[in-house]
Amino acid sequence: MRAIDHHAWTNRWRRWHPAEKLLPASGLLVLTLILPPLTTAPLVLAGAVLATVRGAGVPLPTLLSVLAAPTAFLVAGIPFLAVSVDFTQGFDLRLSNDGWWLALTTMLRALAAMSCLAFLILTTPLTDWITSLRRVGVPSGVVELILLTYRLIFVFVERALTGHQAQTARLGHSRVDRSVRSLGWLAGNLFQRALAQARRLEIGLLARGYTGELRVLAPPHVLSRTRLAAGLGLVGLVGAASGLLARGFS
Amino acid sequence: MHIAEGFLPPLHAAAWTAVALPFVVVSAWRVNRLMRDQPRIKLLLAASGAFAFVISALKLPSATGSCSHATGTGLGAILFGPSVMALLGTIVLLFQTLLLAHGGVTTLSANVVSMAIVGPWVAYGLLRGARWLNIPLAASVFLAAMLGDLATYTVTAGQLALAFPDPASGFMGSFVKFLGVFAPTQLPLAVIEGLLTVVIVNFLREYSGDELKILQFPLRALATEARS
Repeated sequence: MRAIDHHAWTNRWRRWHPAEKLLPASGLLVLTLILPPLTTAPLVLAGAVLATVRGAGVPLPTLLSVLAAPTAFLVAGIPFLAVSVDFTQGFDLRLSNDGWWLALTTMLRALAAMSCLAFLILTTPLTDWITSLRRVGVPSGVVELILLTYRLIFVFVERALTGHQAQTARLGHSRVDRSVRSLGWLAGNLFQRALAQARRLEIGLLARGYTGELRVLAPPHVLSRTRLAAGLGLVGLVGAASGLLARGFS
Repeated sequence: MHIAEGFLPPLHAAAWTAVALPFVVVSAWRVNRLMRDQPRIKLLLAASGAFAFVISALKLPSATGSCSHATGTGLGAILFGPSVMALLGTIVLLFQTLLLAHGGVTTLSANVVSMAIVGPWVAYGLLRGARWLNIPLAASVFLAAMLGDLATYTVTAGQLALAFPDPASGFMGSFVKFLGVFAPTQLPLAVIEGLLTVVIVNFLREYSGDELKILQFPLRALATEARS
């Protein structure tokens, strides 16, 4: 998690306007979802990986580790798309061609979609696009709530890790039953501290004239038309290429 | 159990958005009004949201050897009530997508339906029901958290089955298939989550009576019974 956040803040494309990254990423995502996956997905995957690694300079191992967790979900679920169960005459398991086809296309589509998501989260820090939520009509109070949550997550993760380490050092995780109890205590403790933190934050803010709105300066981003056009061009290129490939195959 | 990005066909993703949106919008509207009336609620909710995120990222010891994560839906529903959980859960799921790459943008609404709407409502309903039947608090918390977790998992299996019906036996066959696939990890996980929630609630009643009173959310009973 901290790796993702770290690269989001330090990659080469960090200072670009968020729309310049959001547009190609969502464009590719839409292409993946609507075009036939067999030809589109590999192109999208290649495009997103190249943009992340070559363009933004995020190390390949980081990208792979981000993709690893959801891939585990896929690997667990996908084979069962290929298997077909029939209860009409007892219990009948069988592999079908349609099933394999469905499993393959779903796997490809999901992988490609995940690479678009990975590109987006590895190149754009969360705060950049939380602030743009306001523009799509989310109430500013809720946006602020999201920003505050984002800030506090890192405070609590730090504490949870320290607490966990301390418990482990005292053999608190040496057996499953102890582990459950230790985790419960850790969580209870965290909750207490979370509320205490909220109260301190409130007192501190009230002392500075807090009326329910936090005003922050957003760093100015200049929208570059060239980069936006390049992003759109990439989406168009992938769309056209996969369309041509699909026609060639059929 | 998060459905991964791009796993659901576009039509299903859109349909789940239509299901989830009213709940989340109503919840956002309520929370927004609550925050305007009492600015301190905002900080409390932010702390709770961050807490829920960290809890859901805690690795649970699991009987099958593999580590799994808690959902925290039961605890959230017990502490904050289901109507607040719809928004809070959505925010937590959004962060899980953007900070951990768990779940996805296109499958966010399907995950919201299972984890931020159905799970909390089931847990909350069970807790109320169990308290009404005078079942001891620890047992009702355990039941609520465990069955809330199982409800989440059943809904996810149902969503997957709807998206990928079995060619031979249709929706039901596929539903049973997906339930079966995830049962070996999800059943022990639900029990562990139930136990964990009991430990947390006991801890809070023992040491945080005052904090529980601040919450003023659904379970006044829990706070007033607290031995602070």
